[in-house]
Amino acid sequence: MPEDTAVEVRDARKVYGQGAGAVTALDGVSLGIRKSEFFTLLGPSGCGKTTLLKLIAGFESPTTGQILLHGSDITFDPPNLRPVNTVFQSYALFPHLSVADNIGFGLKMQGRPKSEISETVTRMLALVRLDAMADRKPGQLSGGQQQRVALARALAPSPKVLLLDEPLSALDLQLRKEMQIELKRLQIETGITFVFVTHDQEEALTMSDRIGVMQSGHLLQVGDPRTIYTRPANRFVASFIGESNFLTGTVDGNVFTLDAGPRMEVGQTDGAPATGKVTAAIRPEQIRITSATLGDGIPATVTQTVYFGTDTHCRVALADGTEITVRLQSPASGDVGLHPGSEVTLKFEPGALILLPKAA
Amino acid sequence: MADRSFDIARLPGFATIAVTIFVLLYLPIAMLVIFSFNAGDNVAIWEGFSLRWYPEAWANEAVKQATWRSLQIATCAAIIATTVATMAALGTTRRRQTRGQSFVYLMINQPLMVPEIVTAVALLIFFSSIKVATGYQGLGYLILAHAAFCIPFAYLPIRARLEGMDLSLETASADLYATRWQTFRHVTLPLVMPGAIAGLMLAFVTSLDDVVITLFVKSAGQDTLPTYMLAQIRRSVSAEVNAISTLLLLLTVVLLTAFFLLTRKRT
Repeated sequence: MPEDTAVEVRDARKVYGQGAGAVTALDGVSLGIRKSEFFTLLGPSGCGKTTLLKLIAGFESPTTGQILLHGSDITFDPPNLRPVNTVFQSYALFPHLSVADNIGFGLKMQGRPKSEISETVTRMLALVRLDAMADRKPGQLSGGQQQRVALARALAPSPKVLLLDEPLSALDLQLRKEMQIELKRLQIETGITFVFVTHDQEEALTMSDRIGVMQSGHLLQVGDPRTIYTRPANRFVASFIGESNFLTGTVDGNVFTLDAGPRMEVGQTDGAPATGKVTAAIRPEQIRITSATLGDGIPATVTQTVYFGTDTHCRVALADGTEITVRLQSPASGDVGLHPGSEVTLKFEPGALILLPKAA
Repeated sequence: MADRSFDIARLPGFATIAVTIFVLLYLPIAMLVIFSFNAGDNVAIWEGFSLRWYPEAWANEAVKQATWRSLQIATCAAIIATTVATMAALGTTRRRQTRGQSFVYLMINQPLMVPEIVTAVALLIFFSSIKVATGYQGLGYLILAHAAFCIPFAYLPIRARLEGMDLSLETASADLYATRWQTFRHVTLPLVMPGAIAGLMLAFVTSLDDVVITLFVKSAGQDTLPTYMLAQIRRSVSAEVNAISTLLLLLTVVLLTAFFLLTRKRT
């Protein structure tokens, strides 16, 4: 195991229930999370990301497999013996304790001296900018403030890893954006490894150093946000993170022939078969659209345009009936000059086309 | 005035019915309180204001003994019932809901549904066999009997208190390095406390005024305040009973007000 690994998950399986009613929440997940990185587990609900988080926190133990923290096996350690803290989705602040006592709870349970506790609490209050709220009860705080208390409480004992279980989902959009920046700042300032669980792809892309995409108990792809977005490993990743159009065709070397007709060169073909039928993905914003029907490119017919403010989404049909979406930046006038029925030509850079592996 | 939405208070006769019911509920109690200050012996004829029945009742040795016995039983029974009810409430609310949960609720609240007279007869028979076997004749039987029927009264406010609480609080505590005992001591117990105190008071009041079960279970010479009063009234209607009732009423009002304030706070 590399020196800089904070959490290592080895072939973890988690099955709930028994016999016919058994549900496999995690189906053999292996993963290494580096020290001081902001790692995000991203996936739709029920994909197993929260289960994986619970295994690391110690609220559940894996059916098979191992969890290692900084190199030592913690698979069956109870949560109170793991130097790992959690920020809960519901915050789970203690309603009978003041903000300061909530933040100092972990240190108090560890039996640290009073002076150290009050010093750390003061530092944490400053870190999350709640100095004035020390004596309030959680019930007297707004949702965003409660969120900050939950963060401070989990950070106060200086855990080796901080787990965050969809902590922003209860906040409104404005506050969520602020907290995203705040979280990233805290992670950089404290240098603590963050493991963040979310189903929000935008949250994952903006905050993470690396993202692990999960589906149905499997880890599909791990990589930095750019790699995940520009080189998705399969169709699920391509459609879950951002929008994608899917085109079918035949590949031969680095020449891709669309079922709808035109041939084109492709950039990378990593993971995809060298010859035969394949599916390719292309992002809506990577396609250029021209009203000219001459020259090379893919001929298409506009079926619908939807105005989104900064963007205009244009649905076009290819010769074989495949419908794809093109995202255009709205011009100053707001009118892209395309209408249902317009004959257009689609163009894109060779590198924009992503050939997907067969079994996706 | 423009609001035409349904309002039960605007139905014809609503005020009349409401007033009639309140009069029926509170007039007899008001009469009792008023006549406890009656100067004469008669409980039906007002002969002027006097406080004589209060010291007179207090001077009665039998009243003093019955009061002391009632307080002993109510205190012990309420503490036992609240302890059991707290454990039951923790067991039924601080974990994931399981199948058969409503059956468990039903079992715990059984004393509310079984006719009291049935419980009374059952306890009488049950305790007599124990009395024969052990020879013990003390207050223990009454305390146990009262504790049993007080459990649901203590259970309901505690359960109401715990049900509103996030299940992940104990998980969060464990995550923050607390052992099971520390979690109970620093999280669960402080949170359940207001409910437990409310349950304790409700159980105390319920035990204090029980007649039916007490009559069946008590041995000779074990009169509680209510059974003593019943015996007095059978003999002759005494204004002394009015004075005792008024004091009991006062105690109940004080306890129930405290109960109300406790359950309302911080919710």
